[in-house]
Amino acid sequence: MKVTADDLKKIRFFDNYTDKQLDTIAAISSIKEFKVKDILFEQYDELVDVYVLLEGSLSLGISLANDKRIHLGTIEEGQFFSWSAVFKPYISTAWVMTVTPAKVISIDAKKLNQEIEKDCDFGFKTMSKIAQTISQRLSDTRFQLMNQLTL
Amino acid sequence: MQQYKCIKKEEWDKVLEQLLVSHTIFASTDSEFGIDYELVTPAVISRIIYNKPKPATPLKSFYLPVRENVTSEAGGAKPRIILGIPNCDVEGLSLLDEIYLDKEFYDVYYKKRRDETLMISSDCFGIQEHCHCLSYGIKPFSTGNADLAVIKLEGMMIFRILSGKGEDFISKIQGILPLTDKELINIIDKEHNSTEALLKEKNKGLPDYKKTGTLVTEAKKEIWEKYSATCVSCGACTTICPTCTCFLLIDKPGFEKVKQLDACQYPGFERVAGGEDALFELHTRFRNRYMCKYAWKPEKFSSIACTGCGRCIEACIGKINKNELFMELI
Amino acid sequence: MKSKNIYKPIKAKLTEVIDESPPIKTFVLIPEEEFAFKTGQFIELSVDGIGEAPFTPSSSPHVTDKLEVTVMKTGYVTEIMHKLNPGVFMGIRGPYGRGYPVETFFGKEVLILGGGCGLAPIRSLLYALEHIKDHLEKVILCYGSKTPTDCVYKPLFNRLNNTDKFEAYRTVDKPDEEWSESVGVVTSLLNKIKVNIANSVAVVCGPPIMMKFGTIRLLEMGYKEDLIYLSMEKNMSCGLGKCGHCMMGEYFVCKDGPVFTYNELKNTPDIWK
Repeated sequence: MKVTADDLKKIRFFDNYTDKQLDTIAAISSIKEFKVKDILFEQYDELVDVYVLLEGSLSLGISLANDKRIHLGTIEEGQFFSWSAVFKPYISTAWVMTVTPAKVISIDAKKLNQEIEKDCDFGFKTMSKIAQTISQRLSDTRFQLMNQLTL
Repeated sequence: MQQYKCIKKEEWDKVLEQLLVSHTIFASTDSEFGIDYELVTPAVISRIIYNKPKPATPLKSFYLPVRENVTSEAGGAKPRIILGIPNCDVEGLSLLDEIYLDKEFYDVYYKKRRDETLMISSDCFGIQEHCHCLSYGIKPFSTGNADLAVIKLEGMMIFRILSGKGEDFISKIQGILPLTDKELINIIDKEHNSTEALLKEKNKGLPDYKKTGTLVTEAKKEIWEKYSATCVSCGACTTICPTCTCFLLIDKPGFEKVKQLDACQYPGFERVAGGEDALFELHTRFRNRYMCKYAWKPEKFSSIACTGCGRCIEACIGKINKNELFMELI
Repeated sequence: MKSKNIYKPIKAKLTEVIDESPPIKTFVLIPEEEFAFKTGQFIELSVDGIGEAPFTPSSSPHVTDKLEVTVMKTGYVTEIMHKLNPGVFMGIRGPYGRGYPVETFFGKEVLILGGGCGLAPIRSLLYALEHIKDHLEKVILCYGSKTPTDCVYKPLFNRLNNTDKFEAYRTVDKPDEEWSESVGVVTSLLNKIKVNIANSVAVVCGPPIMMKFGTIRLLEMGYKEDLIYLSMEKNMSCGLGKCGHCMMGEYFVCKDGPVFTYNELKNTPDIWK
């Protein structure tokens, strides 16, 4: 399904981009739909797209050696994920699966990286947003860890 | 010109003997154990000393017993007279008044003791080794807060009236006359001045009270670790301090409560039910007391939280000297 | 000046004990004397002859004939409390401290961040807010517990989501097989809520770690320091501003708190210990 700049304007993650930059992103994006218990990607998969969740709820976690899935967190509407697709070696650190039927915006990571290199302003904005997401994820993970380690 | 009243010492001793019928009297005496309060009986009267600093027991002990039942009826007791209180203790009582006579939550037991006690302060002619009241703005003689101040000089007992209660007491004594002998008044002034001079000389360089707050707040961890090296958390400093009042409420059957003096120096003072203890390490407890006295209480209360009496230095079995600490912080 | 003895408790009959989760029970008490509190204030609840401990009532401040106190089994006194049966008398001293200033929330959106046993005082706050909901824009509760079993007052969430102007979201650190709601720490719920920060106040109540991370996130989101309300639990003992056990810097938590704004605490060291 095609994506337009107006579609992106409604999503908090894409605020601050210029109209031209939004057009660029829209051109390399598409909307994907998933059913319940669909796996978007597995831990250690090579990732080619980054995503923003539009509707529904996804679970994120890691797998143990015996293939047991540990559910670590929930991805909520509006959140950006699959950031590993932007950075070498492009390998996912976790699996992501649907909890409810879901709709995501999928952005071609290779083309996104090309745009980041071409346009400094776009590159800075995009990297800042990704850094912000990862930083929050790290903070939440530390909090979760401290919860387990202490009373 | 300061107004004094006077009476011959022999007459005063007779007055005391008469008062014993209706009052419990504690007075400062000297013994093999040092200067301290003693419960007065007719035999003790001749041993009462005046103007020599200072009783080891702080005044707070008369108002805050180590242990008391705070849910039973406040017992009817004889009115009390405490004779020979140094001014450092008198000033320290102001902080206790602010805490225990607070309008929203006032302690009936403390109030009763305050109401039924007459406080006779004794001007200090001379100092003890660790006295430093003047460094904190406290004079070695009372000009308020107590009911009377007393000086023994050349066979005369000379009184300064400091409150309505004191005025009332004096007016009932037969034979009390205004002091007119200018010589005696000069001697009193001289003694005041020389005591202050001794204090200034002994405590040169000690920071004044206002500065202490900043000094302890900015002090580094190494200072606390250094000075608490010999501390064993015995709590002597808090027990003997005229302004330390932290306590525990202990439950007894029948929903009775016993209030018992506690100390922030004891391990577990801030331990919570789940086991966490913010002051687990000894040097943090040591620092806590300084922060409380010099930084935090001054923010909360208008009365001074350290009167410079120096008892904590004398009492410490680890020989920790707070004045040495402050001199190092400067 | 009150002439009542400040140390003497009033008696209250324990009429019901509700099991919330393995370590948590709610006690329903009927005080023998008139007793009223403001939401966020605390009481010292005692077991006859054993000891007392501070608790923030979890019932509505508008219900005055009975009182509910949610108790987590943590130490000596609470362990004995958990063994009590209805019919015994307990002692109550209080109410003490500064509660939540709900009158200042009029016309605003209220975001509540709760964790673990912090839901107890929050439940009382929610009742108080429900009482004045015509004057509020919106109330959002984000609550996190370690596991689904640790989540107390389970029926509360459904009820809130069916109440006009209220929204409630739950998350757990570690889900079980049946859990279908969010997983992760409570701050991650802040990603999905919609709130007008310029016209909002935030209330945070839970374990120290949660309060620390929660406050950091709220500040990042743009909440003003004097509009973040923190419920500081700190070893309250006498409740009267006298015994010194709850001193946190220059504050007595029992008198100046337990509800503080972040603004008041930001320069006080070690508040999260």
